Amino acid sequence: MVDKQEMKAMIVSILEEMTDPSSTESATKVVEKPINKQEEATVKEATEEVLEDITQIDIRKQFLVPHPADREGYLKMKAKTPARLGLWRSGPRYKTQSMLRFRADHAAAQDAVFSYVSKDLIEEMDFIEVATKCKDKDEYVTRPDLGRQFDDENIATIQQQIKGTPQIQVIVGDGLSSAAIEANIKEILPSIKQGLKMFDLDYDEKAVLFIKHARVPAMDKIGELTKAEIVCYLIGERPGLVTAESMSAYLAYRPIVGMPEARRTVISNIHSGGTPAVEAGAYIAELVSKMLQHKKSGIDLKEVE
Amino acid sequence: MAETMLSVGIDLGTSTTQMVISKLTLSNMASAFTIPRIEITAKEILFRSEIIFTPLKAQNEIDIEKIQHFLDQQYRLSGVQRAEINIGAVIITGETARKENARSVLQGMSGYAGDFVVATAGPDLESIIAGKGAGAQEYSKQQHTSVVNFDIGGGTTNIALFHDEDLLDTACFDIGGRLIRIEQQTQKIIYIAPKLEQVIVQEQLSLRIGQVVSPADLKPLLKILVAVLENAVGLGEKNPYYELFITNKGLKLPANIVCVSFSGGVADCFYKELTDPFLYGDIGLLLGKELCQSKLFREKKVIVSKETIRATVVGAGSHTTKVSGSTITYTAAALPLKNLPVLKLSKSEETGTQEIICQAIKEKQQWFEVNQESQMIALGIEGYANPTYQQIAHLATAIVSGFSAAIARCDPLAIIVHLDNAKALGQAIFSRLPLDYPFVCLDGIQVENGDYIDIGMPLIQGSVLPVVVKTLVFE
Repeated sequence: MVDKQEMKAMIVSILEEMTDPSSTESATKVVEKPINKQEEATVKEATEEVLEDITQIDIRKQFLVPHPADREGYLKMKAKTPARLGLWRSGPRYKTQSMLRFRADHAAAQDAVFSYVSKDLIEEMDFIEVATKCKDKDEYVTRPDLGRQFDDENIATIQQQIKGTPQIQVIVGDGLSSAAIEANIKEILPSIKQGLKMFDLDYDEKAVLFIKHARVPAMDKIGELTKAEIVCYLIGERPGLVTAESMSAYLAYRPIVGMPEARRTVISNIHSGGTPAVEAGAYIAELVSKMLQHKKSGIDLKEVE
Repeated sequence: MAETMLSVGIDLGTSTTQMVISKLTLSNMASAFTIPRIEITAKEILFRSEIIFTPLKAQNEIDIEKIQHFLDQQYRLSGVQRAEINIGAVIITGETARKENARSVLQGMSGYAGDFVVATAGPDLESIIAGKGAGAQEYSKQQHTSVVNFDIGGGTTNIALFHDEDLLDTACFDIGGRLIRIEQQTQKIIYIAPKLEQVIVQEQLSLRIGQVVSPADLKPLLKILVAVLENAVGLGEKNPYYELFITNKGLKLPANIVCVSFSGGVADCFYKELTDPFLYGDIGLLLGKELCQSKLFREKKVIVSKETIRATVVGAGSHTTKVSGSTITYTAAALPLKNLPVLKLSKSEETGTQEIICQAIKEKQQWFEVNQESQMIALGIEGYANPTYQQIAHLATAIVSGFSAAIARCDPLAIIVHLDNAKALGQAIFSRLPLDYPFVCLDGIQVENGDYIDIGMPLIQGSVLPVVVKTLVFE
């Protein structure tokens, strides 16, 4: 058995070798004289070193090919796509940093699905919180049918809290990305509100519903329960490797359970690298006014345009 | 959802006048699930007019009646009604733009070339337009290379350098095919451009008005002109007259130019049989022949131009119009807007406090005040890549307070944003303006101080506006 002291010394020497391969001499010194103070200092120094956050690197500007024939040409091509081009090695032997970045982005995507929108944000925004029939994230992922239904208790909450028949009912749902809601909702809601004013319209910001474990067709049930003329539903999109913060807006004129999908109008790709949330909100406001004017949504609305 | 618009291009050059009518196709390039992105996806030339010599009353005066008559006739031939034209550009180029009556010609033209037609001039813009019309920009994009286009007309040579689609620089030289005019029958010189007179004096050449000349007499002069054009792209030893022939500026970076292309009337003279050297009553043919022997042909890759003598007019008709759409805000009452000078906020002003933005707008408006009389201006800003609601609200408040004087006069406001902010910013501005106040807020258009902008009537159910950004320089 190696005792504790020896173990520490070994770690120290390994760490030192890693930082400076020529310093085997000093490493042996540490082993010879395992003075507690010095040893702690070395360990601390090694652990305090902060690794560069690889997710902060802009993939569109990262170019790993060592001697390119036309660097500028390649970078110009890369600027047009978020795809991982110019990684130098591909297939089963990516470079370490490409591999780590891929896994970091994948982890962010998974986190976005399996995390919840923070209570603080829901409170701050004064949302009315309800939940679908899903018990937890696992059930949410495996049972899409439950993600569009509400139990009696939640139905009662909705009916109590939403009074009268709103012309425009705004809903927020975590969907497949809580990160998307956290990143965009504070910017998009005031923008929708401001935009609606241009058309003499408004929604009640005290009556915005927040749905936990939400699927898109949950809006149909809300439509039925509130009898709203327009349901405007902001929901986290299935995250990908490009971004985990992309949000969609689904809008429908008098949605009902079982209506064709073609009656939904969707604006997707709302995130910092796509359509900015503020700009999307402005566009949604105009869309709402068009829907009210034509009393239609989805494909039907496209046809009258 | 493709829709088309008709665009007219009219080129009043030093030597020739012509027009083209093009059909521009607009389509939504975004997927069905995102905000539409309307782009010009196809350009087709429907009609090319005859090419006439620009009618002049005297040496310095363009004959506007004759031009109007010509345009009337060409419209009839094209079968297109003037009222059908959505947008376009009149380009007065080269020496013609410096004629005394260029401004009044522009005014006379605007009624004659469709309901919404803009007027443009200036050597830089002409170089760009000709380069685009000649296909140099497209070639540089397709081949990922650098191309210099020489548009050699009657009075000037307009040069544009493109690299992989990007415009890098422009230049202009007072070199062209009609700097010396010669009576075809008698072979007598009837006109010599002032800069050439200088060269003739210094080189002690025996060339003067009234003299009968042969191609051999003109050779030394042509060699100088060609040497200057070689110099323009960094070839050969610097000619002592290089500086003399510069109209406004030369190219800053003549290194690394791989390809050259030629347009303008002189480009048509390269491969013509030289049966009568003075067929056109000028030195154009001889200049073309001399260029064929030059270092430009020996040391650079010469690519074939899409258009030669029509490059500028095709460029004016097909390549000047942009569209700004989908995420814009405007009130229809404000349109169309013509010839608005652009006032661009600097980066530090734009990111400053509301006070700074407001103050900057107020000060810059004063630049355009002539005799206490205020002029409408277009405000250019960069915008935010991913704005917060607060940033937009802040900007809107500052803009509205900066324009308080204009608002009191009920002048329409025009805000041109580069990044995708115009819908939200427009709505924010709307909420801060008096009810139904006329204004336009566009994005996706980059403008600079010194530019002028025209905004046409809405297209595609009002979702997009055609825009022409131009530089009007008469000096």
